[in-house]
Amino acid sequence: MTEQALAAAASGDEPRAGLHAVRALRELADRLETLQVERARRLGWSWQEIAEALGVSRQAVHKKHHRRI
Amino acid sequence: MFERFTQDARTAVVDAQQVARTAHSDQIDSRHLLVALAERAGPARAALHGSGVDVAGLAERTRATIEAGDALDRDALAAVGIDLDEVTRRTEATFGAGALARAGRALRGRRRHIPFTPDAKKALELALREAVRLGDKEIDGGHLLLGLTRAESPARAVLTDAGADLERVRHLAEGAGEVA
Repeated sequence: MTEQALAAAASGDEPRAGLHAVRALRELADRLETLQVERARRLGWSWQEIAEALGVSRQAVHKKHHRRI
Repeated sequence: MFERFTQDARTAVVDAQQVARTAHSDQIDSRHLLVALAERAGPARAALHGSGVDVAGLAERTRATIEAGDALDRDALAAVGIDLDEVTRRTEATFGAGALARAGRALRGRRRHIPFTPDAKKALELALREAVRLGDKEIDGGHLLLGLTRAESPARAVLTDAGADLERVRHLAEGAGEVA
């Protein structure tokens, strides 16, 4: 990616590049959340504690992760 | 529709899902189907090969293109100032080698079924229509290839970019369909 393209993407001049960046950030956040929640559960954290740290409801975090962990 | 698929056509659909899992794709588009058809012996691969396409090279390049479109896009993250290599390094320091890729697989695995894009669904419908047009009772890999090449689709673009003679490919795919 050229420097110009980088600057355009960062400032959101070009919708496609900006939208791709948002999608990639969401994917990265989802993957990090998966790893962190997994680890917290292994270390004995309750769903309530994890939910509070993530700033979401206990139901939301449980529904999203309990089948996988 | 699937009940009229031959074993090789069913296998192609299953393989396309595997291609999507390997590439961490969140959807199956016509290119995944093309890779699946190109990587297994059958009427579709025979038609591609017969038309002079470097089938192995085509499959490999298409897989690479699909993977570059992975949701965790390195360039897209760099554009907002995030160095994916550095994130990967730090993540692996805590969670072990390959942790981010594993998390990606875990997220995809949660949905046992990866959905087809409208263009992939359309290709499957067109495959059915091609079989009807040719008077064939069953839909095999050759019909799937005809479905992929009948209308504009990402798969057809891949073939055109690879220099494939679409008319020749389609002619051979039709012949293979009649024999089978």
